[in-house]
Amino acid sequence: MNHDGWLHALTGELHRRGLDPNLSRHVVAEAAAHLRDSGEAPLRVFGPPETYAAAVAESVGVPRPQTGRAWPDASAGVAGSAGTGRAAGSARTVRSSPGPIRLDVRGISKRYRRRPVLSGVDLTVRAGEIAAVVGANGAGKSTFLRICAGLISPDRGQVRVHGSLGYCPQSGGTNDYLYPDEHFVLVGAGRGLPRATARAAGREHAAALDWDPSGRTQARHLSGGTRQKLNLVMAALGEPDVLLLDEPYQGFDRGTYLDFWQQLWRWRSAGKAIVVVTHLLNQLDRVDTVLDLTPTREVSA
Amino acid sequence: MDQERRGQWLRGVLDLCVLALLHRRESYGYELAQSLDATGIGPIQGGTLYPVLLRLQRTGLVTAQWREGASGPARKYYQITPAGSETLRRTTVDWDAFASGVGTILREVQTR
Repeated sequence: MNHDGWLHALTGELHRRGLDPNLSRHVVAEAAAHLRDSGEAPLRVFGPPETYAAAVAESVGVPRPQTGRAWPDASAGVAGSAGTGRAAGSARTVRSSPGPIRLDVRGISKRYRRRPVLSGVDLTVRAGEIAAVVGANGAGKSTFLRICAGLISPDRGQVRVHGSLGYCPQSGGTNDYLYPDEHFVLVGAGRGLPRATARAAGREHAAALDWDPSGRTQARHLSGGTRQKLNLVMAALGEPDVLLLDEPYQGFDRGTYLDFWQQLWRWRSAGKAIVVVTHLLNQLDRVDTVLDLTPTREVSA
Repeated sequence: MDQERRGQWLRGVLDLCVLALLHRRESYGYELAQSLDATGIGPIQGGTLYPVLLRLQRTGLVTAQWREGASGPARKYYQITPAGSETLRRTTVDWDAFASGVGTILREVQTR
């Protein structure tokens, strides 16, 4: 990485950590001066931009993104379930319940042809909670979410949703020939939002993901990552009580991925019940419930 | 020297060393790094040094201002404050007591 690239990345990381822009400029300028004086590679002198930004934020006393909320039990639960007993369909609640139940899933089973995909899955998510759904490829994560969203029926069991629902699919879901704004208006109309309100809400959600959707670019010309931002924004339009997110961050770069989790924590603070499919275990210490769908008998590569 | 142990030692004293260097005269980051290296406590990378300077600045032990140097471009110069000098004086006494205690114990090993 050259100096400019590294300095640019540092600027972004400092911004993401909520550092005062004025202070941030000084930090970047000072790093640039040092690099110019020493003639050394930025990675050697300062390390990766995100690491240096973290050290800077800590030394100036900016609270870390995950302020004071650590859930060591959650990651321990996942690590433990890999090797022990029957993991399928077991949800671990790590925190005392903060709000009323928004999503209540009981005894969901689903087969495709003769292959059982889900058997006896339970999940309860309350207002102000994030539930992570994990599991190997083919473990039924997307199927589970589509059942929760009412897009397909389970063979057995029931799903109760208390409130309104937003669903973000893993892919698809956008209309190739519409502009982002037109997506917001269209989806907003389905949720009772006037055009201008829907457009404004869409742009606001997009800004939280560091995306300006006001341009005249049809969805088919957006990058994969940006299309997923569009999907995510549409799911959140109209402020649904329950958000079902099926790996919405595919194609996100690292910065956007951090923005995405920031947004999830804001939604949680705002009292939404969130279910997010993920395979990135390092995020699990920041969720409230982990549902591991990996069947113990089936070991996939 | 064992780099990990050197890093641990440095974490405990780097802010004092920086204060002591600034007690001599004002300086900027790169120059401080070179001075520290020259004393033999080993190279200090920017990623380690600048967070220390920011912390010293936040706690009011140093102040800083951007200035054009005598030769060359603008740099951020750090000056020790009266509070910084007082902290340095007091902590130097503490460090002497601590280091001589460690020294006494370790010398027993050497002379045996």
